[in-house]
Formats: sequence, structure tokens, C-alpha cells
Amino acid sequence: MPSKVASGLSACALMAGSLFAGVLPRIDLPKDSPVSFLSADYGESNESARGGAMLLDLHAALSLRNSSARRIRGITMVVTAQDFTPGGKGSVTVTSLDVGPGETFPIRIDLRLLRPLQTGPGVPVLVGLDGVLFDDLQFYGPDKLNSRRTLTVSEWEARRDRQYFKALLASGGPEKLQHEVLASMARQTDRPNVDVQMVRGGRATNFEPERQLQFAFLHLPDSPIEPLEGMARIAGNEARAPRVEVRNRSDRAVRYLEIGWILQDRQGREFLAGAVPAQLNLSPGQKSQILSDTALKFPRTSGQPMEIEGMSGYVSNVEFADGTVWIPNRADLADPRLQKVLGPSAEEQRLLQLYHKRGLKGLVEELKKF
Amino acid sequence: MTPNLHPTAARLALYAGKDLGWWGQWSVQRHVANCSGCQADVDALQNSNAQLCNLAPDLPADVNWTRLSQEMTGNIRVGLAAGECIADFEKSVRPSRPRIAWLSGTVLGCAAIVVVASLWLNLPTRQMDHLISAVGQVRWGRIGSSFRTPATNQDAVVLEANPLAIEVKMNGHGLALMHPSSAGATVSVNMQDSAGVRYVDADSGQVTLNKVYYAQ
Repeated sequence: MPSKVASGLSACALMAGSLFAGVLPRIDLPKDSPVSFLSADYGESNESARGGAMLLDLHAALSLRNSSARRIRGITMVVTAQDFTPGGKGSVTVTSLDVGPGETFPIRIDLRLLRPLQTGPGVPVLVGLDGVLFDDLQFYGPDKLNSRRTLTVSEWEARRDRQYFKALLASGGPEKLQHEVLASMARQTDRPNVDVQMVRGGRATNFEPERQLQFAFLHLPDSPIEPLEGMARIAGNEARAPRVEVRNRSDRAVRYLEIGWILQDRQGREFLAGAVPAQLNLSPGQKSQILSDTALKFPRTSGQPMEIEGMSGYVSNVEFADGTVWIPNRADLADPRLQKVLGPSAEEQRLLQLYHKRGLKGLVEELKKF
Repeated sequence: MTPNLHPTAARLALYAGKDLGWWGQWSVQRHVANCSGCQADVDALQNSNAQLCNLAPDLPADVNWTRLSQEMTGNIRVGLAAGECIADFEKSVRPSRPRIAWLSGTVLGCAAIVVVASLWLNLPTRQMDHLISAVGQVRWGRIGSSFRTPATNQDAVVLEANPLAIEVKMNGHGLALMHPSSAGATVSVNMQDSAGVRYVDADSGQVTLNKVYYAQ
């Protein structure tokens, strides 16, 4: 066991309070990890019996230090439940970071684990590192959860949105920046919240007639991928088995892409259902089909039962064979239909929160840091 | 007549009582003369007959044997007639079965046509789609188990995401990642492997993306 893990365990046990040390997570970082574990606070964590199972309610505030010589932009921790067959797994990703060498930063993990009374030996939860992204877009980590792509896309979105807000500030001063911030906040308020349930294969319900529905695509002018046609099977509040044909219209090979999937209910409300991804090897000019056997079910939207009546799609991001990524620009995102359904990027969300807490002045100061 | 072709017991009894015809009496006598087994049976029958004759004085004196014989013959005839009546009844029922089946089938067919026509004309489109879909989902090779297995069965791995938590569930167990505030939380689903919720931590101002995955 690495020495970092041992120190981590002892620190956990000391700070655990009433929580039995045997159920505390094991924090397992590689020896050459660019981040080191400092301490953990388990606050109100507890474990209690619930029926024939044990409910572990874990609230962990981990403190990590950047032990590398570069600035960290994002990190993904993987959380694995030991007693969960065939491998219950979660991850906690923090993006839009700006952590310099030697600086510390927190990661909060709020986890609830329902596990059998009869469990095997060992700790119930393992916390490990899946990846770290630095400011030069270099990546460290096993990347078992495709964190490199997630963090890289997020970093490009952060750069795009900071640039956009800085441009507003430069062209129209703080008033124009404030106007855009308030508009973005209003869009967030109007955006419908959806609950979603996802199952691979089959249908989640038998009670609604199933029909095929065609995609209507939003064509983004500078997208390297052109969606040609597509359809999915719809039954009431359930959508499944999307199939999209795409063409690579760029001059570079593409190895990954995502199609954003927008659904429309009977009342005409639209919301982003999810992303239909594809790992492929698409040469310039080549066509390919994207298939998924997954079913999505939407129990309700804004508290009301939902009936899917229409759907559309757009290319949300593309990864080229050389590892670089394409994301829609702000002009693309200004499309009224996209504006209504898309949430803000992680960076925009952070900047709006910062405005909310520290006001316009605080936001302007933050933008000037970059 | 060879010893292998023995007379029947009834024929031997008639022979012993001299109740066979001339030809029958002669042919059985020929066999009995060369067959010790049948000769023994005939002797036993004739002994029984002699014993019965010896018991005759003990029988009631007023028995009218002729009438008794007629009554017995009459009863036998009544029995035979009753058997013939039953046979006639069964014969009369058997041919009529296909007719009843055909009539029943015709009536049911007409009723089905009326029902389908009524549904077609009166059922709203939506309910009609529902009905057609349900019928279409019957697997003829597995009649009785009928519809497709729901995906949300107990063994399936289900990912759930809502603005309060995301969860991966299987076999009654679950792993959930929660976030302290649902304000501004953004739910995202990757059809390949994961569901997630992104939120901004009010205390640290950090953007956190929690995800749960299918087993890999």
C-alpha cells in the first residue's frame, strides 16, 4: 500500500468521529500522482441499518495538494463501491480549477451507498484518481472513465466563455457584461429540469405504443461533422435506440463525436435529453452510423408527466484523431432553440455563481486573472 | 377335431346335457373320446347335473318352471332392447357435434367482426395505436409469456439522474452521488455509459460534475 494511502487512512480514522473506521473510504493515489492527499473531514457521515441492508451516508471533504510544477485545470476522482456487483462506479469531476503548484484545493464527495448486511472483507468504498488536466492541456492519469476528453472539452469551453465575457467587457464595459450575465441567469431559470432514467437494451415500459420518430437537425455552420438523417423509437415518455447517420466534412480524421439529443413534449417544451456518443474512425468525407441500444425514460418534467412528440439533434463536440477537440462557438450557441435548452458551460456556471456572490466587480476581477 | 381345438366350455356344457344338435353332439363326442381333459370336464358337468336332480325334491313344489323361463327370457330381451336404444341414442348424437361446433364458430366469428368493426369506427386513434402496439408485441413463439421483458427488471442496471442526486441501481443495491443544492443543477446523460449532474458548490464556488456509470 502506498505511503500516501496509509497516511490518508490514519487521517480519515482520526477525523471520522462516530463513524466506524471500517466503513471509511480508502483513498488510493498513485505514487507518482501530481496531487497528494492531505486530510479528510467526514462531518455528518453515518451508517445505519435499513431493512435488510446497510445505508452508508458519506459526506467527505477531501483536501488535496497540487504536488506538480504545473497549474491544474481539472481533476476526476473515481469512486468505486466494493460490494456492488458488477461494479457500481461513480466519479467526481471538478473543472474550471486554477490551482498553482503547492496550492491546496478541496474535493467534496457526498455519497449514499445501500449495501448488503453480509459484506466481504475490506472497505466498502475506494476513492482513486482517474485523471488530472493541466493548463498546458497535458493530462495525467489512467483515464479509465475518459476523463481526458471530459476535462479537455470543459477546458476549451471555459476558454471560449471567458473570452466571450472578456470581449463583452472590452466592447461594452461592465454594463454590457452585466446584461449578458442577467440574461444567462434568466435562461437558467426558464430551462426545464428533467429527471431521467437510463437502461441499456429493451424498453422501460410496455404500456405505450411505440413509433419511430425522425430527427430534425440543427446545422451548425462550422461543425466538422454533418448529421444527415436519424431516427429513434418513442413510446410515451420513453425514447430509445437512437440511430444517426453522419458525415465527416472536415479534412481531419475524427475518432469521437457526440450528438446532443433534444426532445419536445406535447406542450411544445423542449429539453436536452442527453448525448449520443460514438467512438469511431471517420476519415474526411466518410459517412458512418451512430447506434445506441439505450433507453431513456423521463418520469416527469417540471412536475408533470411527459409525452414526447418531436426531437432534434445537433453536434455538441468532436474529437479529432490527433486529440484536439471541436466545440460549438458562442455564435452557434446563440441559436434560440439551443439557447432555450442548453445549460451554461461549467465555466459560465462558475462565473454566474461568482457574480451572484461577489457582484459585478468580483466578476470583472476574476476575468482579468486570465 | 384335434385335441388342440377343444370345444368351448358352453358347448361342453350343452353336450353334457344332451342339448346340442345331432351334428354337434357327434362332433363333440368324437373329440371327447380322444381328449381326457374334455372328458373329465364332461364327467364333472354330468355329476353336477345328477346332484342337481337329486336336490329337486328339496325345491318348492309350486315353482312354475315354464313361467320362470319365460320371465328370464323376457328380461334378457328387455336388456337387449335397452342396449339397442342406447346405441341408437349415441349414434344420433355423434353426427350432430360438428354442426354445433360450426354454429358456435360462426357465431363467435360474427361477434368478433362486430367488435373489431365497432372498435375501428369508434375507438380514438390513440387507443387504437395502443391496442395495435400491444397485439404487435405478442410473440407468437412464446404465447403465454406474451410481452417483451421490461428493461427495468430487477437484474438490469439502471442509472437515474435528477437535480438532487444521481444513482446506479442493481439488485436492490444502489450507489448515489448527491449534491448539496439543486439550484442550477444540470442533468446530463451520455447514452454510452453514464449519467451525471453538474452543480456549483455554494461554499467553494467550484464546479463539480458527479457521474455514475454502467459497470465497465
